[in-house]
Amino acid sequence: MIKSTSYIAQNTFKETIRNKILYNILLVAGIALVLSISFGDLSVFSRGQVMADFGLATMSLTGLLLAVFIGVGMLGVEITTKTIYGVITKPVTRTSFILGKFFGLIATLMLNFILIAAVFFITIRVMGAGQSFTMFNAVLLLLIEMIVIVAAAIFFSSFTTPTLSAIFTLGFYIAGHLNDLVNIGAEQQNNPVWRSILKGLFYILPNLENFNIRTAVVYSLPVPSGFIAMAVLYGFLYASMLLLLSIALFSRKDL
Amino acid sequence: MYSIEIKNLTKIYRKGFWGIKVPAVVDVSFNVHSGYVTGFVGPNGAGKTTTIKTIMGLVYPQRGEVRVHECSIADYRARNGVAYLSEQPYFYGHLTTRESLAFASHLLNLDKKRINDEVDRVLDLVELSHKSKSKVKEMSKGMQQRLNMAQALLGKPKLMILDEPMSGMDPPGRRLFRTLFKDLAKSGITIFFSTHVLEDIESVCDRVVVLSKGKKTYDGAVNELLEKGFKGTEIELEQDPQVLTELILNAGCTVDQHSERSWIITVPPGIENAIILEMLNNNKLYPARIERRKSSMEELLYSGGGAQ
Repeated sequence: MIKSTSYIAQNTFKETIRNKILYNILLVAGIALVLSISFGDLSVFSRGQVMADFGLATMSLTGLLLAVFIGVGMLGVEITTKTIYGVITKPVTRTSFILGKFFGLIATLMLNFILIAAVFFITIRVMGAGQSFTMFNAVLLLLIEMIVIVAAAIFFSSFTTPTLSAIFTLGFYIAGHLNDLVNIGAEQQNNPVWRSILKGLFYILPNLENFNIRTAVVYSLPVPSGFIAMAVLYGFLYASMLLLLSIALFSRKDL
Repeated sequence: MYSIEIKNLTKIYRKGFWGIKVPAVVDVSFNVHSGYVTGFVGPNGAGKTTTIKTIMGLVYPQRGEVRVHECSIADYRARNGVAYLSEQPYFYGHLTTRESLAFASHLLNLDKKRINDEVDRVLDLVELSHKSKSKVKEMSKGMQQRLNMAQALLGKPKLMILDEPMSGMDPPGRRLFRTLFKDLAKSGITIFFSTHVLEDIESVCDRVVVLSKGKKTYDGAVNELLEKGFKGTEIELEQDPQVLTELILNAGCTVDQHSERSWIITVPPGIENAIILEMLNNNKLYPARIERRKSSMEELLYSGGGAQ
């Protein structure tokens, strides 16, 4: 099972690396990061603050686009174009297929993140803005967030069409960042039914704000000890849960 | 010994918003004998592809049991030594011919050291060696179907399951595939394939399973099926057999005047032609034509002639 998972992951990596969409997204991200230099001059904040804020936001958006375009495309399109037949009809488990796809996508995502992060850190260094350890942690947390988003894309693709899974994944990202508002809404709700529904949503949806320490980076605020480790653990557990659900759904799916 | 055992297989799809039940295969049971070429025939929508997809673990049945090499299809190991060729070739467009076959070889757990040789062997068999570096998406459908066959031949499978393997192929491609089937069958590989082309059944298959509207209508040897379709022998005479008419009729045969100078005696199955021919000879009546009459394969398979 490990062998076949690794071959599927390698093939997925090869496929995504040869995908032209990937390079377009990377190009746009690179340009945006370099442009952040001039935005720094237009702002009332220091150039370093603006560059860090804008750079991290660009990385988050790029990661989301990569996760949606590649994540949804990899599984959903594979089912609709039936290229999956060439794999599932071999002595390979469906679990291997899902895990192989996931790890292949994560490898692509990591490689891209390293490239974007390199452009980000080089830009900041060249412009003489300060780099901090919190900045590295912020990039790490963005990567963990994207791992959760890829797992969500795979989860939605395991039971619906590529278009719907793309919409659901974007919705998942937005809802994940607004999760705190759902909790506040639940607290303020007088109707017990609505209160329970909102509370349920709060616990089911991920809290993607756990992966956002941009404010701390921009304003050089301290990050509580153990926060990063807990956020990483939370991300891995959430992604694992989504993968387990994907495997369960996909295992009984007619192809 | 059986390569595939199917017992009471039922698959019902749910279609549309209201999930209307559409039965694809209903209570179908049959076995595929090891070492034989078995044809799987039926009109469009008969349930052939659903049955094949179930065997390959692509579709889950509501009821019934499917075993491949005595292993339940719920276990992925049932697909060890089994090759599948889909009706349409489905390949990753980003890979070259060689890369596609190497990827399939890895999934089949072939020895890494012999993957290159194995890829060369199968490319040679389907006459695609010159296309080994071509991207799959740049190849014609016929070429892709050859590549599909090449991946099915990887690792010398014990059982080949082919869904309309010759669909979309040009005549040279069809000839190549038929020759390949015959060679594979000679080497002892079990072949189970669905087809619409009834010539293939007569020329390639030892056995045939017929499906119609999701139900099995025939399962047996092709020879037996052809024997079932034997409608008797026609003997054409150019002289009036009037003197013998009574004897011929008493023997259970019929006599019809076909034209002014042509009479046809029909000898039904079960009556020896030799007896009638001797009778005619003794009366100096010599046949102008003797022909065995049989139902066409199409009649036998689709009009319920072969119903069992």
